[in-house]
Amino acid sequence: MSKILVVAEFKNGEIRKPTLELLTKARQAGIPTDAALIGSGVRGAADQLAGHGAATVYLADDGALERYSSAAYLPLVTQAVEKSGATQVWFSMSETSNSLAPALAGRLDAGYVGGAAGMEIDGDDLTIHRPAMATKVMQKMTFLKDGLRIVSIRSGTFDLEPAEPVTAQTVDLELGEPDARVVVTDVVQEVQDDVDLGEASVIVSVGRGVKGPEGVEEVRPLAKLLGAAFGASRAVVDSGWMPHNTQVGQTGRVVSPDVYFSIGISGAIQHMAGMSGSKLIVAVNKDPDAPIFSIADYGIVGDLFKVVPILTEEIKKVKS
Amino acid sequence: MESPGPARWRSGGGRLRERTEDVLNIIVLVKHVIDVELNLRVRDGKLVEDGMNFVLSRWDENALEAALVLREAGEGEVTAMTVGPERAGETLRKSLAMGADRAVHICDPATEGCDSLGFARILSKAVARQPYDLILAGRQSQDTDMGGTGPMLAAMLDLPQVANVVEIRSNDGGKLTVHRNGDHGREIVDLTLPALLTANDSLNEPRLASLRGIMSAKKKPMEILTLADLDIDPAEVGQSGARVGVAELSPPGARAAGQKFEGDPEKITRQVMDLLVNEAKIFG
Ligand SMILES: Cc1cc2nc3c(=O)[nH]c(=O)nc-3n(C[C@H](O)[C@H](O)[C@H](O)COP(=O)(O)OP(=O)(O)OC[C@H]3O[C@@H](n4cnc5c(N)ncnc54)[C@H](O)[C@@H]3O)c2cc1C
Ligand SMILES: Nc1ncnc2c1ncn2[C@@H]1O[C@H](COP(=O)(O)O)[C@@H](O)[C@H]1O
Repeated sequence: MSKILVVAEFKNGEIRKPTLELLTKARQAGIPTDAALIGSGVRGAADQLAGHGAATVYLADDGALERYSSAAYLPLVTQAVEKSGATQVWFSMSETSNSLAPALAGRLDAGYVGGAAGMEIDGDDLTIHRPAMATKVMQKMTFLKDGLRIVSIRSGTFDLEPAEPVTAQTVDLELGEPDARVVVTDVVQEVQDDVDLGEASVIVSVGRGVKGPEGVEEVRPLAKLLGAAFGASRAVVDSGWMPHNTQVGQTGRVVSPDVYFSIGISGAIQHMAGMSGSKLIVAVNKDPDAPIFSIADYGIVGDLFKVVPILTEEIKKVKS
Repeated sequence: MESPGPARWRSGGGRLRERTEDVLNIIVLVKHVIDVELNLRVRDGKLVEDGMNFVLSRWDENALEAALVLREAGEGEVTAMTVGPERAGETLRKSLAMGADRAVHICDPATEGCDSLGFARILSKAVARQPYDLILAGRQSQDTDMGGTGPMLAAMLDLPQVANVVEIRSNDGGKLTVHRNGDHGREIVDLTLPALLTANDSLNEPRLASLRGIMSAKKKPMEILTLADLDIDPAEVGQSGARVGVAELSPPGARAAGQKFEGDPEKITRQVMDLLVNEAKIFG
């Protein structure tokens, strides 16, 4: 019998939206589903998972799990898979799952497909659609053998249906001895904005065209006004004008908001690989031949230092 | 599943070798991949091979550069290793030209159709043949954009693993401090070797091969191995062993250019605003 284990992600006291999207989809597929919840201070969030359809929540709640490390998390997820008897393990695609999901596959000798942007589910037959080769092709991938299937799925691939929390049935996972070979000594919180790139429905991103940190500050009010997450190109991050965690692209965050504002970004393939899944793209660039215009729905050819203040004013008018 | 254990305690013939503090032997996993900077065309569910070019995957260059920097700070050898067809030898020659000391090429027609798990399985046998302290891989390969192979291999070898490394801070008596970009910030990790890291492109700027490097590459050792040399049953890897496979390719969903506005900033910005409000209805 098919069974799904959804590995939950948790942030600021709540289950992250991409996890709830996966649970919604699992429920629609009519396949029995459990969840694994690992972290520190996470126990209270189990009911949220149950409300979204997790029959059993496999739980590891310990101060030592506050920060992700492959050494600490891998044995726990492995235990959860074994205890639940899952035939499929679903992760939401993130820097955590990029490290954890394939490690789980290596540990359990299972097939793994990461970064799904679409998935058809027929029992344990999964058909996965995912971009590859810097999004220049779409791959249709399938599992070829019996045995456990492990997938990671991009946020926004499935719709979220809201659900009220219900009392969860939980099973505690056994914590082993800490693995002294890997010690996460600190996590430097770099992102000062409250809207998460991975969950935002509107994103405003800046490129080298903003010229410096002052330029970044000229665009930030636009993001604030829209309630948008504030992202950046790699050029901006490398220059130290914005924190690393704001990088959008092939090796940064892969995002698919409803609206993506690209401000002073040229549109290199590595950047577009991270945002071309956006539903609507608005680009501002002074170079009419900038590659970003090849995918923008609305392109404004002009100086961002003139355009952005006008745009901000106009949006203020509409909003009031 | 067999787990060869940390190989740094072994050397050829299984003799135990004491680790010397400042010697660092590093294996870099390099993959020969389709150059994705070029135009790629899809026909009948497959890539059109005509006009395709193959290169050393970009993130593997970052991994190799990091290995070379670490070696230059102490002693030890850098081995570049690949599983791939004959043409993948080019990627090894490039790695040697950039500065790797030796190369290992697992070249066997039965590896055709390998999934990441298959590559990891083969690499797990190949790395166990030599002493190592550190394995470096790319964060993802340019063709799959998946990033599965490194963490899978680490799990098979029971090695500590840090993916998406953006900085390697210190190498102090068998320990490394590395920074990785995680979901909640920059994670600072102390590692006891042996370990496996995967490289983000922000880790460094890969060097170009010098003319002298290219010349001396020809004299460096390059070992060519088959699956039989590694005691691997061909049925377990390649097409016949693959757990996952690409059924077909298609061109990405056509995202055509929309409207482009040029002229007076005031006027065109208002025009776009009007479209955002009335056509795209993004304000509800
Ligand atoms: C392996 C690898 C991985 C990479 N991963 C990523 C990634 O994840 N994300 C990423 O973003 N990049 C990535 N890159 C880098 C990428 O190739 C580009 O170098 C980068 O995206 C360029 O950033 P940019 O568009 O901000 O800068 P530029 O290319 O310098 O573009 C600046 C743009 O601003 C415009 N401009 C200048 N002044 C103004 C003005 N006053 N008003 C309006 N427009 C103006 C210019 O016309 C230009 O188009 C990667 C590269 C490699 C090799
Ligand atoms: N056939 C291979 N030979 C050597 N290294 C590989 C091979 N396949 C993958 N790798 C390594 O694993 C990384 C991630 O690859 P992938 O899992 O395909 O994204 C690459 O950047 C390489 O470092």
